Amino acid sequence: MATNGSVPTVTIRIQRFNPDVDKKPYLQEFQVKAPPGKTILDALHEIKEEQDGSVTFRRSCRHAICGSCAMNVNGKHMLVCDAPLREHLDRKGVLTLRPLAYLPIIKDLVVDRSSFWEQYQRVKPWLIPPENIPEKEFRMSPAEVAALRDAEHCIMCGACYSSCQVIALTKQYIGPHALLKAFLRVLDPRDSAPAARLADLDRGDGVYRCHTIFNCIDACPKGLNPTEAIETLRKLVIKRQAFEAARAERQRRLDQPIEVVGEAPALSGGE
Amino acid sequence: MAPSDAITHDVIVVGAGLAGTWAAMSAMEAGVQDVGVLSKLHPLRSHSGAAQGGIAAALNNVRPVAGTGPRGPLEQIPPDAEPIDSWELHMFDTIKGSDWLGDQDAIEIMVKDAIDIVYAYEHMGCVFSRTPDGRIAQRRFGGHSTPRANYAADWTGHVLLHTIHEQALKHGVKFYSEWFALDLIVEDRVCKGVVAMNIQTGEIVTMRAKAVMFGTGGYGRAWKITSNATANTGDGVAIAYNAGIPLMDMEFVQFHPTGLYRHGILMSEACRGEGGYLLNNAGERFMERYAPDKMELAPRDLVSRSEQREIDEGRGVEEDGQGIYLDLRHLGRDKIMERLPQVRDIALKFVGVDIIDGLCPIQPTAHYSMGGIPADADGQVIADAEGTPVIGLYAAGECACISVHGANRLGTNSLLDASVFGRRAGLAIAAFIKGGAALQPIEGDPTAPARQRIARLMSDPPGSKGESWAALARALKETMTANAGIFRDEVRLKTALADIHALQERFERARVMDRSKRFNTDVLGAIETENLLIFSEVIAVSALERTESRGAHARTDYPKRDDENWLKHTLAHKTPDGPALSYKGVTIDWEKYPPQERKY
Repeated sequence: MATNGSVPTVTIRIQRFNPDVDKKPYLQEFQVKAPPGKTILDALHEIKEEQDGSVTFRRSCRHAICGSCAMNVNGKHMLVCDAPLREHLDRKGVLTLRPLAYLPIIKDLVVDRSSFWEQYQRVKPWLIPPENIPEKEFRMSPAEVAALRDAEHCIMCGACYSSCQVIALTKQYIGPHALLKAFLRVLDPRDSAPAARLADLDRGDGVYRCHTIFNCIDACPKGLNPTEAIETLRKLVIKRQAFEAARAERQRRLDQPIEVVGEAPALSGGE
Repeated sequence: MAPSDAITHDVIVVGAGLAGTWAAMSAMEAGVQDVGVLSKLHPLRSHSGAAQGGIAAALNNVRPVAGTGPRGPLEQIPPDAEPIDSWELHMFDTIKGSDWLGDQDAIEIMVKDAIDIVYAYEHMGCVFSRTPDGRIAQRRFGGHSTPRANYAADWTGHVLLHTIHEQALKHGVKFYSEWFALDLIVEDRVCKGVVAMNIQTGEIVTMRAKAVMFGTGGYGRAWKITSNATANTGDGVAIAYNAGIPLMDMEFVQFHPTGLYRHGILMSEACRGEGGYLLNNAGERFMERYAPDKMELAPRDLVSRSEQREIDEGRGVEEDGQGIYLDLRHLGRDKIMERLPQVRDIALKFVGVDIIDGLCPIQPTAHYSMGGIPADADGQVIADAEGTPVIGLYAAGECACISVHGANRLGTNSLLDASVFGRRAGLAIAAFIKGGAALQPIEGDPTAPARQRIARLMSDPPGSKGESWAALARALKETMTANAGIFRDEVRLKTALADIHALQERFERARVMDRSKRFNTDVLGAIETENLLIFSEVIAVSALERTESRGAHARTDYPKRDDENWLKHTLAHKTPDGPALSYKGVTIDWEKYPPQERKY
């Protein structure tokens, strides 16, 4: 990290590859200033706008909710929009950016996530609702909602997928992202087909393919725990008939108020 | 005839946020067989997903605890208790929020549909936060007189977007992910299709359809400090304008009061809805001076102006005095972790402040585009003040101006607007298709202008060096922030306009560095910049002409609202001499909701 006055200059190495002209990927070096508060995405924008307009990457929201900008930073997968540049330099003060692993490269840091989205679709991510739809909302307890919190918060960035050693071996595996989505539907009291969903996960490339290496947990920029969700699904796969019966029982009360034990807590506001 | 390589669908939707996806899904649900949706991003990256605080609807699930005042705690409404909220109240709040520029017939449709559409999301599996007895949880929001923001923690837009996308997949909508719309094919007020680029291959294609729907989002990227995603470059608005469609009320741009200091990233209004304070450098809750009743929960235009006044008068915080503090410390860890987890993360990561025990610096940030493509409440795009339809062309969501938000949008009404009018547009399109709509013949090669533009961007400039689009975009943002921001006046708006004209001229010499076809985001950036320059001119001209202050349009040289002369919508038509303005009446129920003084 060379310093120029008080603001250091750092080296960013970007893996470049345009399959139309390049035989294989190569690293290109750029120098950027690294003031405090600058993100890796800020640096990428600066490089693209001022040094080399052909450097290609995806991004959009700038605050870790759209999931576009997941890539490999010094060997770790993360979103670059909320990653401070200075905190991610290696011991030599260098930052190396590569595309998400195990996916075909479209250009530079842009990968083809087709297999990722195919698995997402394969688990039928939509709710399969009960036959009787109430006039108002289905009643769900705050605890039932809390159980889905991780799964509903997933932004489908692919950091987990590209960190998964099983995905490295086979794209037939459903993958941590789609299993987390399956978990969301299976655990949702409004879903009517948990047994069919669990049966679909009960395959060689389903829940049993996870080797609990925990890479997905390390990689997730939202701090989610796909491994735990997969573990839960494994247990439910075995007792899916009983689980479906319990679901049917629960669904009989979906239009009924949740019973509150003790005094209901205050909801919102309040200085 | 059209080129033989044209892609054909019954319906083509441009944009895959809430409005576009609702339209596509509803059209298919209503029996249309063949709907294609283009998005320059993967659909789940759309900016609808960045909305945080909630979606408005008078569900009557919660109420303030009796005797605790306007900022006291909330409780679930007991089953046998009187309702406190109604669509009528929601309607009045929206009209007042709009500073009486919203069309009241459209607002009525929106607030009535609100209740049904929130339940529709819930029935499709959207995971809302809940009251103890299992109903959808609601919180307070600025300008709303009751707690009617239905929420999922502080990632409401995210869960709504994922839910509606799942439904679109279930219904078999065909998505063109990472396709960029370049032109709209409109002849004699009949829409025939779009020209688009497959970003991955660089191929430029004619896409023919019986109906085209725009749900292309807003235009906040024309300002330096903005909450908007990099994608929000007003492409649809600029494309429509180029095709001869007027743009309506473009001068009304909302600045959100709580953008993260220097970054502009949204810190949800839910921060204030849950009880947060705004403080100046003396630690004063300065909103006492500007909105003594509603305080921090006054509508966004008013709060942003109040913040800017504090800053301009030297009471701002941080080194450059351009910040204000958002104080959430009194909410306590539990409430913050449960209801504001995302904003806590954002503040931690970007400014290193933990809102549980620290003051978070914020500043006003360009957030929402009230103006856009004029459309009726079925999303039917209109060509003039008389309401002449552009056959086969529809718009909804932030790119459209229906106009439900008038001069200022209330928080949580945007997710609502996009959903309600997206769905209505989808149903209207289905009726149009089933009524016998046909593909229209297209003469010549409609891709030619786009090809020429791109060829020029990739050519070597004559004489000296070409211009960098990125530098032009930066210069535009500087002038729009300084001269067409929260406070405006004649001198500043004329400066903005002159700057925009100079930048448009320089854009003629803009060139890209990347000359390849594959995934060329350099070309995309250039075209997006051209779009920014096109609609920014319309904003400056419309704002200059409107010699009053109304909602988000605050003229320091005309500080009062002027209903006698300006209770009307602006329409800007493209001409060779720049935007030509005409005006359109506002739909007002003079018995029930006549204009009043707007005080909070």
